[in-house]
Amino acid sequence: MTAMAAATSLSEVSVEENATGRLREIVEEVSHFLPQQAPLHAFVHHNPLHAFEHLPFEIAVVEAAQLLGTEPFQQECAFSRHLESGRIQQRDLEAVIDASETRIADENLGGLSQREFTIGRLGNLFELPRGAALDWILSESHALSRFDSRVSDGRRMDLLEHARTRYGDGAVTDLESRLCRDLWIAMVGASSAGTCRKKTARRRDRIVDTVGVDPDDWVHPVLIRFCAAFLDQGIAYWQMPDRSGGLLKAFRAIYGIGAGPPDRWMRGLPAECRRQEREQWDAERTVVWALESLDVEPSDWAEFVRDTLFSLRGWAGMVRHFEEHPDQAPVESRACCLLEYLAIQLTLDSFAVRYALTIDPDTDPQSRTESALGHGGDLAYEAYLLAQLLPTDVTLLTDSDAAASWMNAVRLLDDIERRKLLHLAYERRHRKIVLDGILAHDQLTRQQPAEPEFQAVFCIDEREESFRRHLEEVHPASETFGYVGSFGVSMVYQGLDDVRGRPLCPVTITPTHFVSERAIESDAESTYRTARLRRGRLRHAAGIGTKSLVRGGFLAGAGGVLTVGPLVARCLAPRLAERWSHRADHGHHSAPKTRLAVERFDAEAALPGVLAEGFTIGEMTSIVEALLRTTGLADKCRPLVLLIGHGSSSLNNPHEAAHDCGATGGGRGGPNARAFAAMANHPSVRERLLEGGLRIADDTYFVGAYHNTCNDEVTYYDEDLLPQRARAQLRRAQRAFESARRLDAHERARRFDSAPLKLGVSRALRHAEERAVDLAQPRPEYGHATNAVCIVGRRERTRGLFLDRRAFLVSYDPTSDEQGGLLADLLLSVGPVGAGINLEYYFSFVDPVGYGCGTKLPHNITGLFGVMDGHASDLRTGLPWQMVEIHEPVRLLLIVETEVETLAKILKTHPALDHLVRNRWIQLVAWSPASPEMHVFCDGVFQPYVPEQSEIPIFRRSADFYSGHRAHLGCAHITSAFGAMNDEQ
Amino acid sequence: MMNNSLLHGLVAAIFFLPALALLLLAVPAWFGRRISESTINAIVGSAFAGATTCATLLLAVMYLGGQNVVEVRLGTWFSVEHYFFDWTLVADHLSVPFAWFVALLVGSIGAFSRRYLHQESGYLRYYLLLTLFGASTELVVLAGTLDMVFFGWELVGITSALLIAFFHERRKPVEHGFRAFVTYRVCDVGLLSAAVWMHHSVGSSALSGPTPLTPWGTFSVPEGTAAATFVGAMLLWASMGKGAQAPLGGWLPRAMEGPTPSSAIFYGAISIHLGPYLLLRAGSLLEHAPSVALAVVLVGGTTALHATFVGRVQTDIKSALAYASMTQVGLIFVEIGLGFRYLALAHIVGHACLRSLQILRSPSLLHDHHHLEQAMGRHLPKTGGHLERFVPRRLQPWLFRHALERGYFDAFLIQYVVHSFVSCFRWIDEQDRAWVDLLTSATPDRSAAPQEAREI
Repeated sequence: MTAMAAATSLSEVSVEENATGRLREIVEEVSHFLPQQAPLHAFVHHNPLHAFEHLPFEIAVVEAAQLLGTEPFQQECAFSRHLESGRIQQRDLEAVIDASETRIADENLGGLSQREFTIGRLGNLFELPRGAALDWILSESHALSRFDSRVSDGRRMDLLEHARTRYGDGAVTDLESRLCRDLWIAMVGASSAGTCRKKTARRRDRIVDTVGVDPDDWVHPVLIRFCAAFLDQGIAYWQMPDRSGGLLKAFRAIYGIGAGPPDRWMRGLPAECRRQEREQWDAERTVVWALESLDVEPSDWAEFVRDTLFSLRGWAGMVRHFEEHPDQAPVESRACCLLEYLAIQLTLDSFAVRYALTIDPDTDPQSRTESALGHGGDLAYEAYLLAQLLPTDVTLLTDSDAAASWMNAVRLLDDIERRKLLHLAYERRHRKIVLDGILAHDQLTRQQPAEPEFQAVFCIDEREESFRRHLEEVHPASETFGYVGSFGVSMVYQGLDDVRGRPLCPVTITPTHFVSERAIESDAESTYRTARLRRGRLRHAAGIGTKSLVRGGFLAGAGGVLTVGPLVARCLAPRLAERWSHRADHGHHSAPKTRLAVERFDAEAALPGVLAEGFTIGEMTSIVEALLRTTGLADKCRPLVLLIGHGSSSLNNPHEAAHDCGATGGGRGGPNARAFAAMANHPSVRERLLEGGLRIADDTYFVGAYHNTCNDEVTYYDEDLLPQRARAQLRRAQRAFESARRLDAHERARRFDSAPLKLGVSRALRHAEERAVDLAQPRPEYGHATNAVCIVGRRERTRGLFLDRRAFLVSYDPTSDEQGGLLADLLLSVGPVGAGINLEYYFSFVDPVGYGCGTKLPHNITGLFGVMDGHASDLRTGLPWQMVEIHEPVRLLLIVETEVETLAKILKTHPALDHLVRNRWIQLVAWSPASPEMHVFCDGVFQPYVPEQSEIPIFRRSADFYSGHRAHLGCAHITSAFGAMNDEQ
Repeated sequence: MMNNSLLHGLVAAIFFLPALALLLLAVPAWFGRRISESTINAIVGSAFAGATTCATLLLAVMYLGGQNVVEVRLGTWFSVEHYFFDWTLVADHLSVPFAWFVALLVGSIGAFSRRYLHQESGYLRYYLLLTLFGASTELVVLAGTLDMVFFGWELVGITSALLIAFFHERRKPVEHGFRAFVTYRVCDVGLLSAAVWMHHSVGSSALSGPTPLTPWGTFSVPEGTAAATFVGAMLLWASMGKGAQAPLGGWLPRAMEGPTPSSAIFYGAISIHLGPYLLLRAGSLLEHAPSVALAVVLVGGTTALHATFVGRVQTDIKSALAYASMTQVGLIFVEIGLGFRYLALAHIVGHACLRSLQILRSPSLLHDHHHLEQAMGRHLPKTGGHLERFVPRRLQPWLFRHALERGYFDAFLIQYVVHSFVSCFRWIDEQDRAWVDLLTSATPDRSAAPQEAREI
């Protein structure tokens, strides 16, 4: 202790100031790489590698993988399966290899060109034995005297032929073993000394190696317990006393009192805490002290701090999130900052390390997994196998120069490089399937559908693609549009039941308006509220009581046995159980009739920073106008226009919010649709629109609705406001919606392995409903798992095209937007949002443990803000495996219906978008509005797209195409969307 | 007579149906045959549905017929002259309701897990362990002798440890499973000692009764208070491990590593209540050895207070529920120690249903919290106010840390008990090595041989 105190007192004041400044920078820098996930209730999809977006995708994923210990692409064995199944084709590989820059001038590799070598290598994917496994194979098997078992018969003949030319005639086994031996000797000779695995800079790693104990095993549980208790939003009955002074102060208060925990490694911690508190050390000072006591050179600080924070990155990231977004705390914000968290971790680390060094080193240090030959041995063996498998002239390779260049080629085409090429080929095939499908569909002559009876505007979400398609199929006299699911209504919304308002708008927008839902009759409201409150109190008291001692005893002893009914019912008949429980919760008091307080009557401008209650007529007009003009609805509104927001409700799903609407910032878009309808029906808004040259017929009505994507239920708002005649029209539309939602559930069911493929339409709907309320269901819905494409353009051109719920569909009319002004705005919101969703799924799929949060089954909700794996683990961020398991990890294919020039101009003037496209985080395609031509953005320019296939399967209804299939499907042309042989169900 | 053989059949079926299901799963699995999820479900589902039906019938027949006990002799393990070990199953007013309850719960959780574990790679392993658990619990419940209890008891322990370590690709579940396993093993010494001592002093470990004093069969009481106290104390020790009583209960919150439904049935419902069950069976012993009864009350009381206090600061839902479980089991110990047998039985059944439902519901916490807030019309009221009012402000951080660090029980156990064992073993290991080195140093060529092989 004295030595440490001396060390700090020695350091000059100015040096210290300098040091603390640097520390802040270091922590700031590191914080960008920590998981940025919000508390679970406010889950919003984002790119986990946001901090790497300044780099090109292929480089960024590899750098991130090295830094975070994660995977950049799918595993090679997965690609191997894709090659087998035909998901990646030979021509994809060739095209990708031809497009990639060759690194070696066309060198002679045992008779192969570089290109042939690469193609051959990618066609021969196998798992390489490493370390002890390799040692075993080399010493205990015939690997060095016989050809590998994967060598084909033909190739075997060739190899023996080569051997004969070199060694003359002889017994086959003799030739074989001589050739093998010479080849192996040449390869070992050409392999250079191996590179060592990169070690992290932490003291802890050296202690693990030398002493055989892991100080993190002591430090992490304490740190996790403490941070969880500090951040807790209401799980613990007794909350941590006095947290207002911040993380560090609370830590010192709790661990600085009394004699301290009896754990040996924490000896002296209370005294140290008290000393730091007495001398009023701030976080920086504490960190500097800890770094010095851990003997870290100032030059190593950055790396050391980074590795320390990464060791428990979920928690560090959550502390950071509370620091930066206190408003997103589920219940109550907490004063905390990452630097204080670091101070605590390093303080604990220094005690743990000091204690660890007093332990006798383990007499049996952990055995190394490195091969006896080192890394070079792995490579030599790989080169040795490849020389046998690829069609080379093996005898050439025994020459030392040839062997060296062979070895070099093998080294350069390492695991990462191969997976990169395979990934590109994998994406290429997907791109071909989609673009060819769209072009082929576009060229088919289509019947003009009947004049629509109603129009429906959906969210752009890819889950609504199937709903729209089915709606058009069952009711061809309808027209659908896709628009951002907030419908332009950016607001803080408070529903009748809500405890407080929450923003319902894209995360990039800060809402300035407040809209609340109000009951029409106050009597009905108060009866409703009293009844709910009574039940709520009962449930709350029971929830707390059952966990306590005396009340728990009474409840369990006297009433516990009554829960056997719900328990068995939840296990055996989840739908029934939910119905009972819903009835018990809500009783017979149905919710009162309500309206949204959309309009603001005092026309004064709201004060900055204060939410304005409602919207003025002017604001409403511009919201309505933006939607009508962008979608192309403007001058063709039919008498009934429906707006359908969406969200999702499910049980057994801590990640429930991740299934909600991304365009409302992870909220449910029903209120936005309802508010929009109220605005568009407003007479004064219509007048203003007319002044601006946009005419909506007097007999046109807008109706808001809400689609629950989990159980496929559709709810309609404010139906009673419609005049009698419009109600009849609405009922017709509702009948079509009813059929569409059943078919939507049916199409979704084909992806669920537990739903039989032959499931009928009604049973499929029941199946979807059951999933949503089943406590045992880890996959209530697959969410965005199928996302892959985004099409910005007119629906006419994609109507009747089966896109397998894989495409975000954004309505945009290029013919009325010559300058591309509307398009730029649209792309600026759609591009980043789509990329965020797409990349989150990409990374959670390619590395479910490193980027995703692993399997859901052991998840344990902590503090109401996150999940841990079982007991006291790091906070798990990203998506659970059950959500992403059917995903195809490809970058978003953004297809925009516009001329190449317009798109190029937009990119030039909008750096944010340009960045995303140029660094290849999304794939961009321009689709000419006037002709069937496409241009793919590649290497900085738009290159004309050459289709591979011009055929497209044609079916009468979607169900004819998808029925009986589980896997992803390509495109198909669906005729009933145009009224051909229409039979409404 | 006819009626009697029917009853015997029913009792046997409660144990043998799950055991048969276990065989049907285990034999193909042993030979590496893949079994589809639906086949597994059919086997496990029908076995436990059958067991539940048999138990229901048995319950009805016994209560309606006024029969207090049905004893089924399955055979003899071995016999030496007049001394023998019997295999008997006993159905009485304690075991039949319990057996019914176990079959119903394991069957229900089996149906639940069908959806929960769907497409999980360890699906078969999970069901094997669940079925083994069901069969061995029925064995513990229906056992007619303490020796049979021991068999079932051991199997429950191993399935519990293996299910905690279900996700064995991560390190922590395995460590925590191991910790539970070690705790069980240490406490199993108690059960074994009790059985041995009963054989020694009474000549048999079979149940006797029911007597007018005890409503169901209990273990025979050895002559003399000392012997009764010893056997009673050993049984208490045995039940403390499974029942997660202080100071050994540190494994319980850590056991929440497995899939949620297995946590629910083991630590919410059945496994954790086997400790109290054993004590209910030892009712007559507790009466003859008041000091043991007092010890049961003390252990239970300490645990209940410790767990309710520690549980109040837990910030993750599964730990909070684990401590809530521990609290109630402590209370049940107290009830048993005080002689309230029926109360304890009702408490066990009620608590098991309630807690397992809560654990099954724990992943929906965010959903439920949101709806509760809506119903209450505000953020949930702050809890723990009375602690803050009654405890002096200065003491609060100290007390809070005490709860956060789980009463330091783990630290004490590891520092002072485990540590001394480990150093002792390490010392022995060093001596052993030293001897081996001394003995083998004369022949150095043996250790050099593998080195050569590497040098190719």
